[in-house]
Amino acid sequence: MNNFDYDKTVALVCDTLVKAGSTFREDKKEAYRNAIKNEDNEKAKWVLETVLENAEAAEKNHSPLCDDTGIPHIVLEVGEDAAVSGRMLDAIKEGVAQGLRKLPGRPMGIMGDDSQRLDQSGGLNPDSAGVEPAPILLRKCKENVVRLHIMMFGGGPAIRAKTYRVFHKHDTQVVLDEIVKWATEGVAQLGCSPCTLAIGIGRSHFEAASMMLQAQVDGRYDVQSDMERQITERVNAADIGPLGLHGKTSVLATFLKVGPQRASGVRIVCVRPTCCFEPRIATVEL
Amino acid sequence: MDITTPITEEVASSLNIGDTITISGYIFCGRDAVLPKVVKLIEDGKADQLGADLKGNVIFHTAVSPAGVGPTSSNKLEIESSIEPLSKAGVKLHLGKGKISEKTIAALDKYNSLYAVIPPVTALLEEKTLERKLIAFPELGMEALYLLKVDKYPAIIAAAHGRSIYE
Repeated sequence: MNNFDYDKTVALVCDTLVKAGSTFREDKKEAYRNAIKNEDNEKAKWVLETVLENAEAAEKNHSPLCDDTGIPHIVLEVGEDAAVSGRMLDAIKEGVAQGLRKLPGRPMGIMGDDSQRLDQSGGLNPDSAGVEPAPILLRKCKENVVRLHIMMFGGGPAIRAKTYRVFHKHDTQVVLDEIVKWATEGVAQLGCSPCTLAIGIGRSHFEAASMMLQAQVDGRYDVQSDMERQITERVNAADIGPLGLHGKTSVLATFLKVGPQRASGVRIVCVRPTCCFEPRIATVEL
Repeated sequence: MDITTPITEEVASSLNIGDTITISGYIFCGRDAVLPKVVKLIEDGKADQLGADLKGNVIFHTAVSPAGVGPTSSNKLEIESSIEPLSKAGVKLHLGKGKISEKTIAALDKYNSLYAVIPPVTALLEEKTLERKLIAFPELGMEALYLLKVDKYPAIIAAAHGRSIYE
């Protein structure tokens, strides 16, 4: 873009990362308030109240919601006549690094060669900025802007997430049944429920995972499709509850994005049972 | 019930699944990387190298970093497999999150030890963390063994005396 300003972009990205790691969006706060109102199980209610109280404290202090501050995942939206340059990508990378130091992010980047990074023998980078962001996902937007979404992905949901094929038998319900099965298993093991289920369906593992990412950008707690509502209600019927303590609220909402599909008996499904703080997301126009 | 470390056999016996507790005093913090090393020290008869007594103590499954503390999944392989040997060595409470196996629940019962879940509320726990001290394996960074002094960490007993909230 003609008026690109490196320093300003770095500062904007830095503050957006801190916001992603320390605040709940308003629709999420409202989802928690509604869950607290509707929960009969006193222990479950206590967990929900404590998580919301924690969010208020983190927002006030600009401090991490969770000690697993997460891996930065970025979605970049580009308008019709907007442009993204290599210098802008450099500014985004520097902004992420500064944001991780400011939050502060947990210093959990592993150093070393390929083998050392796998077995963790290369040691930990003591710098919070040693946590590199995941590859950037690019998509077009209607407005003539460059818009950046930062999401912080924790490790717990990554352990419980699953990307795999589903033979749909030409019946949507078969796909939904499989999603509910995976999600119920994942939420039961997760520990830090209530979840928001982030789900993508595509033609490849890459496309399904990118749909899962976009589902978290576009999803709203107060706007749920019939399929999203069905998934949420069926997983909640399993009585897992916040922290596994039983109750009505295992899942706050489902964010589902269905991409293009191929003529085939197979759909590739990515289900990420995000934790009680995720999606940790913030957005800025650069 | 307010609990102060070290936890006695009597206190451990008196707690049941679903009980809401607060924990105060000194507690250990460790996770995937360090707990197998602690277990190895115990097996080698070198637990005194830790510089603090495990008996009656709490192991909080967390990293300790500038970002704060918060429970990691206790059902990760290296963490859950430490619960039995650490209970045998005298640890009375394992603090974390997530469903643990029937085998681990039985092992806890064998040594009159407990498992409790703690909400992952890092911002609130920060206000209740009074001191933090790195005590072993500094090369592991945030995954080293730490000793914290805490004031009323909130938790709920999730496994005790052969039973669990996951039944």
